[in-house]
Amino acid sequence: MSILLTVLRDPDALPRLTRQDWNLLLRESRSQQLCARLSWIIETRGQVSACPEAAWIDLAAQRFFAEHKQAQVRLELRKLRKALAPKGVPILLLKGAAYAHAGLRVARGRDFADLDIMVPTDQLEAAETALEAGGWLMETKDRYDQRYYRRWMHELPPMHHRTRSFEVDIHHALLPLTGRLRPNPALLWAASRVLPDSPCRVLCDEDMLLHSAAQVFQDGEIAGELGALLDLHQLMEELGQREGFWQRLVPRAEALQLGRPLYYALRFCTKLLDTPVPAEVLRAAQAQAPGRVSKGLMDRLVPRVLEPRYPTRRPAHVAAWFLYMRSHWLRMPPGLLALHLLRKALRTGKAG
Amino acid sequence: MRQSSSRRGWLRRRSARAGGIYRLGPFAARVETPLRGLRNLITWCYGEPLPPSAQPIVQFVVRIDHGPLYRRLIAPQAVFHADTQTPFAPFPRDHAFPLLEWGLNWCIATRAHQYLMLHAGVLERDGHALILPALPGSGKSTLTAALALSGWRLFSDEFGLLDWRTGSLQPLPRPIPLKNRSIDIIRERVPVQDDLGPTFPKTRKGDVAHLRPPPESRRRQYEMARPAWIIFPRYRAGHPLRITPLNQSLAFTRLSQNAFNYHLLGATGFDALKGLIEGCHCWSAEYGDLASILSALEQLPEP
Repeated sequence: MSILLTVLRDPDALPRLTRQDWNLLLRESRSQQLCARLSWIIETRGQVSACPEAAWIDLAAQRFFAEHKQAQVRLELRKLRKALAPKGVPILLLKGAAYAHAGLRVARGRDFADLDIMVPTDQLEAAETALEAGGWLMETKDRYDQRYYRRWMHELPPMHHRTRSFEVDIHHALLPLTGRLRPNPALLWAASRVLPDSPCRVLCDEDMLLHSAAQVFQDGEIAGELGALLDLHQLMEELGQREGFWQRLVPRAEALQLGRPLYYALRFCTKLLDTPVPAEVLRAAQAQAPGRVSKGLMDRLVPRVLEPRYPTRRPAHVAAWFLYMRSHWLRMPPGLLALHLLRKALRTGKAG
Repeated sequence: MRQSSSRRGWLRRRSARAGGIYRLGPFAARVETPLRGLRNLITWCYGEPLPPSAQPIVQFVVRIDHGPLYRRLIAPQAVFHADTQTPFAPFPRDHAFPLLEWGLNWCIATRAHQYLMLHAGVLERDGHALILPALPGSGKSTLTAALALSGWRLFSDEFGLLDWRTGSLQPLPRPIPLKNRSIDIIRERVPVQDDLGPTFPKTRKGDVAHLRPPPESRRRQYEMARPAWIIFPRYRAGHPLRITPLNQSLAFTRLSQNAFNYHLLGATGFDALKGLIEGCHCWSAEYGDLASILSALEQLPEP
């Protein structure tokens, strides 16, 4: 097993590492871009003294990226709020921004690619108009891209403010409208909660985990997403401590049609990261397991693309390709998918 | 006998391909390359790699490779990799060494945030450090090289590594890339001609030749120093020497715009820079010839 996984499973293994192990751990963490998060996990576990000084300094120095991004997110949110509040559009934070605002441990050292927020479906148009008036621009002008997002996806085309480069994704649902699973946004809004010192809302604990699971195992390509699996692991560790979380989780997943992604999240978190999950939850989630063939395939493919392979093994290109095709398969019905992939292939040819 | 020596040669070549670990001030870098000419230049500049028994923590793992197979035949290339990243377009094979130096700079600038990284030449005398921030046209590299050859200890030509926890400067002795006309100016001052490496013509920055760091500066690469003087040099052909005190707020603005990671460090960077400026004498210096500014720098006031 890779040394990074060993340490993430059990940070108390750190004092047993040799110098060679340490250098390998640094390389694996760098290639997975998990240095800052690893440094927080080490600190939370009280294992800083087990690290060679140079290694600790190097890991902890990477925290500045996350802190810088979180400051940018806070600024962007203030501006979004200013643009949307007069129109009466509420903001629900998703993913990284939600973890950071809810003060969850998973946010420590976590990098943000963009800012994800959700608005109610019936206020989507009002939100878009308000943002355009406020100076946000769509990143794509291409007509096919626009149609792709608007008719089939769960979010508007990515936007950014004309004076800043930070990308904002406006969601109105959790998963693509053309996909096999469509959790009802009304249920998410009804269960969401307000944050004590912020005007924004976040999903309730169970939904937060379920959204994260759906992102990876329903809508994602999985390959190279060890950081996303770590999100799930850390969310389960922290939210699992809260009263009634585990009892509510599986029934809630069924209500939102997210039983299958939850099954995968539990399966691969426990398998790869040794996440503590009550036995009865694992048993209940078994009802959502796929058929024997899918299960066998996923069990073989997913660990191959999630485990850090650099620098000791070759990348798992074939497994990654299968999972990439799978993610598209789950996104769209076959006819539409064929047309979409044809379109993408033609465009790549033209650009080349 | 003959057989065993050739076998030893083969072993040495293989271990060089697997990469040697080199000490760069506070960092250790593993450098792997199949390019033999480049390996010779690395040895010329950084000496022999650390023995395996040293077992340092390695911050940077870099590789300079051939380009694709067909490019080995036509217009050969050198490609820089840092772990899984390939940040630059390939260079011509002949420019592999400048590419390695540039790549290592990139590694440091994107990762070493335990320091506020000023883009500056830094030298030390009697335990006090002089900072020469690099503004376009400052002639910083020439000036740094000339000072390193006249009794100052070279910290770095590129990175002023300010440890923001202690406020001290950290040496990072690396070769100084001299460009175009500076090559000849410094050649006249180098006592050992071998200290100046080969000239690489027509790189992105014109002709480049490297002055390797003096042995003294490499030997003492762990000895930190307190910053004492900040001088913004500006070369203007034919102008007489003019040194004017610089007020602190202006020095602050200029240095913050000039640092690699000032914005990333946020409040930490602000506090570090404020501490630095308050503890230093700040001047700007206009000069038309090297000799005049060198003698002026001999007479800096006590910190």
